[in-house]
Amino acid sequence: MFTEIKHTLRRMRGAIIGWGIGLFAYGVMMANFYTSLEMMEGFLENLENYPPEMLAFFPNIFDIMSPKGYMDTYFFSYMTLIIGFFAVTACANLLVGDEEKGILDLLVSYPVSRSGFFWGRLLGFLLAMVIILLVSWLGWVIPAGSSGFNLSALELLQPFAPLFLVLVLFGVMALLFSLLLPAARLAIGLAGGLLLVNFLFIGLANINPDLQVIFELTPLYFYQGGAAIEGIDWGSFLGLLGITMVFTLLAWLLFQRREIRVGGEGGWKLPKLSFRASRG
Amino acid sequence: MNGKKAIEVHDLHKSYGKVQALRGVNFEVREGELFGFLGPNGAGKTTTIRCMLDMIRPHSGSIRILGIDPQKDSRRVHALVGYLPGELNMEANLRVKSAIRYYSELRGNHVDPRYIAQLAERLKLDLETPIKNLSKGNKQKVGLVQALMHKPRLLLMDEPTSGLDPLMQQEVYRLLREAKKSGTTIFFSSHIINEVENLADRVAIINQGVIVEEANPGNLVKMEVRQMQIRFKGLVDASCLDEVPGVTLVSHGNGSLATVRVEGDLDRLVKALGEYPISDISLQRQSLEEVFLSYYKTAKEEVY
Repeated sequence: MFTEIKHTLRRMRGAIIGWGIGLFAYGVMMANFYTSLEMMEGFLENLENYPPEMLAFFPNIFDIMSPKGYMDTYFFSYMTLIIGFFAVTACANLLVGDEEKGILDLLVSYPVSRSGFFWGRLLGFLLAMVIILLVSWLGWVIPAGSSGFNLSALELLQPFAPLFLVLVLFGVMALLFSLLLPAARLAIGLAGGLLLVNFLFIGLANINPDLQVIFELTPLYFYQGGAAIEGIDWGSFLGLLGITMVFTLLAWLLFQRREIRVGGEGGWKLPKLSFRASRG
Repeated sequence: MNGKKAIEVHDLHKSYGKVQALRGVNFEVREGELFGFLGPNGAGKTTTIRCMLDMIRPHSGSIRILGIDPQKDSRRVHALVGYLPGELNMEANLRVKSAIRYYSELRGNHVDPRYIAQLAERLKLDLETPIKNLSKGNKQKVGLVQALMHKPRLLLMDEPTSGLDPLMQQEVYRLLREAKKSGTTIFFSSHIINEVENLADRVAIINQGVIVEEANPGNLVKMEVRQMQIRFKGLVDASCLDEVPGVTLVSHGNGSLATVRVEGDLDRLVKALGEYPISDISLQRQSLEEVFLSYYKTAKEEVY
């Protein structure tokens, strides 16, 4: 399993470096911009003139002068969507991507259990996400003293935990879909689509209260965003963790019994859960 | 070779939807044996091998690899087996060296790096080249190295010489014979009748998902129908060749050229040709598919 963790991290090093540098630079820039916001007179008054449809997507925008509202508006509110697409793409390709390229055929002939492959690759992805988010957190922490945030490193770290969890949730959802659907790209489309729709629901539910009932059933309803600076809502966190674990276990079960495909063999049909063959 | 069974496959059935890929495959391979698995495209060779490694599951039947049921303990089977897939794909961005190191790590690093270097040298494989820059033949060499590097008890090879030039094919034959000498059981599928004839102790022929023949490789020659073109020194009447048992005169052209079809061995034809002044002979061997077609055509004709 350790070999697979190492191998997955090595494969994702480009993404880790790219996303890490990008998010670090963005954090540094936005943290330094915070002080200048205080000097912008009439900023809040101007915000009130924005169309409500736009403001609906940033529920904490009128709290923008506080570090919590600022970080939520400029980072945590939409990073679920931005980094979420990376999580979805990476997870959908974690196993099925290699299967479609014909690489998995040889790898599963090695003395590593299917569980070893599954958990090794998933843990590799989780570590990659942790590194990206930690580097991103450093982008906010390093200039924190000069930016007037007056928040400890731990307080700044807290909202990254629910962000990490919601990214992993959509990631393992994509992984599960990749094992259920005929192709990885379909899994990316479906999980990515659900993430986008869920994100749009934040704003739509704020505009149309009738949609609130549906929104309350979606993962992003339980996502705290920047509000977690004041403390993690453990009820929501554990709820999201529970769903993530259910998706993960289902994906693991499916991979255990999966018939590894090669080009020209079998069909690209929806797979059935197969059980041990009867002995003749 | 001992009496113990390295591979036991009994009544194996496997379908893909309505397509029955395996329809009751039965065969056994003894430990230390070099066993050829022949069949045309789509006959079920790869499906059988992949069932043996638990990559896909049969609908019914049983498999034992070195006494182990791969469905119950695939990890143990994989530890004892070296596998070369028919369609070899590897991570394109890795260098050969990194790919081999990764495969070695997957085997728990129980691989002697000196042996890897020795195999690479014998196969003329550059370990520094990125996989994406390798030709099909060189990729096949990487596949061979990873299958052989841990000196497995059983080698499962799907078309081991595919894409290799004739010299390298000979080197692979040598490697396989050496592996056999050191006690490794080798099970390989092939299209090339010569390869099977030269290497295998025993062969099984699979067609449409069933084993149609288990034979000595020498018997394959008897199944083979070859075409021979004979150029004579001057004009001759070669019609007598049609009377040689197992020989059919296909064409006689302008009298200086004759084309004959030969079933079985060439002994009687060669003796008959001793009567003629010959300037050139060319022999066209059949592909395995052609052997099958002629074999089954003959078998059907005998039935009706």
